[in-house]
Amino acid sequence: MFDQLKKRHWLTVLLLTLCSSTAYAQLNIFACEPEWAALTRSLAGDGAKVYSATTDQQDPHHIQARPSLIAKVRRADLLVCTGAELEVGWLPLLLRKSGNAKIQAGQAGYFMATDHVSLLEKPAVLDRSLGDIHAAGNPHVHLDPYRMQQVAVALVSSLVKVDPSKEKDYQENLRIFTLEWRNAISQWEKQAEGLRGKRIVVNHNNWVYLERWLGLERLAVLESRPGIAPSSSHLGEILTQLSANPADMILLAGYQNDKPALWLSKKTGLRVVSLPFSPSNEENLIHWFNRLLQPLLSADS
Amino acid sequence: MSLEGLDFTILGPAFIAGLLVLSTHVPLGQEVLKRGIIFIDLAIAQIAGLGVIAAYRFGWDIHGWEVQVAALGTALIAAVVLNTLEKHYQAYQEALIGAIFVLAATASILILAGNPHGGESLKELLIGQILWITWEQLLPTALVTGFILLVLLSCRQNLQHLGFYLLFAVAITSSVQLVGVYLVFASLIIPALGSIGSKKTLLSAYLIGGAGYGLGLISSSLLDLPSGAMIVWCIAIIALLSSLTTKRKRQLV
Repeated sequence: MFDQLKKRHWLTVLLLTLCSSTAYAQLNIFACEPEWAALTRSLAGDGAKVYSATTDQQDPHHIQARPSLIAKVRRADLLVCTGAELEVGWLPLLLRKSGNAKIQAGQAGYFMATDHVSLLEKPAVLDRSLGDIHAAGNPHVHLDPYRMQQVAVALVSSLVKVDPSKEKDYQENLRIFTLEWRNAISQWEKQAEGLRGKRIVVNHNNWVYLERWLGLERLAVLESRPGIAPSSSHLGEILTQLSANPADMILLAGYQNDKPALWLSKKTGLRVVSLPFSPSNEENLIHWFNRLLQPLLSADS
Repeated sequence: MSLEGLDFTILGPAFIAGLLVLSTHVPLGQEVLKRGIIFIDLAIAQIAGLGVIAAYRFGWDIHGWEVQVAALGTALIAAVVLNTLEKHYQAYQEALIGAIFVLAATASILILAGNPHGGESLKELLIGQILWITWEQLLPTALVTGFILLVLLSCRQNLQHLGFYLLFAVAITSSVQLVGVYLVFASLIIPALGSIGSKKTLLSAYLIGGAGYGLGLISSSLLDLPSGAMIVWCIAIIALLSSLTTKRKRQLV
């Protein structure tokens, strides 16, 4: 019976490949993280099929290879990723394996968000002993709405390059997005006024753009070096530091291990605020930012 | 169900890589079972990883040939050490292999205390990503496989302890970087186990392994699950079915 089933599958595959080669019109876009999938969906409109390689529950630094992932990259017309070495562990391998010339580095279909904004925390000296530092700077730019706007503008020019026939649509989508996004930003900034100057402890140093935007003050990072679990002496230092200079809360990304944060919370009585680091499946950016700010605002009140 | 991954150009290199690994690991695995030193591949793989990390620590490029030399060198040293231990403390061989494994694993943690990039490479080395393999990568593997098979076939009878350990170190160092330690372990032990009691053990072990890789790759495409882990399970299920049928046949006779 299994043999029969297999045969039927091969037939379906054959039919599908035939159909897909004739019905070519839709733009296939491969995003590395859900935030870029969400942004691309709102800019490219209904004409594009957007796929996100990772979900909001995954650490974008690491990913397991699945056959469907390679198939999707192979068919992509446009690749939208963070860049700045965030995906260095898997994207180059995936691109090489795909053999898709359109989206290789330097081509029109290769879009790295961090190429289009200024990055914070660019190391003056590159020293491997400092841990998992990104030579280009901190890559987690999607948490700053102003940089998100800059990325949107650059992304639309890439979309136009890849698919010039729809230039008008893309520009119109960008106009609508910009309008809504600006309104949302001013609303968020009004809501978050009370957060200015709040002192936070973070688990991993991936909130720097949010801190800068909202005026949060980072007192300490639990990981002694980025990407390395905190050592006991480092946690001890943080404890003494916090007893002299108390913080307001501990920030944690939803996908991260919460053990170090909970440990510190137990010792200090600080509240652990877990935030959605990326939009969930099919969620739009404004909705996600609302959800991102909500726990911060309620922790403050 | 997802059909789009069912594409020979995606699954083909992975399948061929699996067959290359099987071709050397099945006979080596039967030898490992005979000698009762099951965990030796975990220990040697871990030590090869340790060599990579040490090389990285010296500032060598992680993808350069020096790292291959370092991995192979440390694995060969480990082979010599294991051989000496077997001579003098044969009764405790398995326990010593376990201790060496855990020492190598923790040594890499200590060396890497300040270096998560190396940690990523180590993880890659141990888990491996069989799907990322491209056709070009298969050529050096095919050469190493040919060399090992040649040695195995030409002097299987007079392969002494040391010779076996050295050959084993070469095979593991190359296969672990290609498919990862889980698949290496599965390819060594499970087909050898599943073929016990059948008339042509080598042939049926090869069939179990080959079917496991094929079915694993296909089902990982259909179910959209990571391929390495899926293959391990498919090899195990096929080995179980095969050993059940051989048992029944023997009962009937």
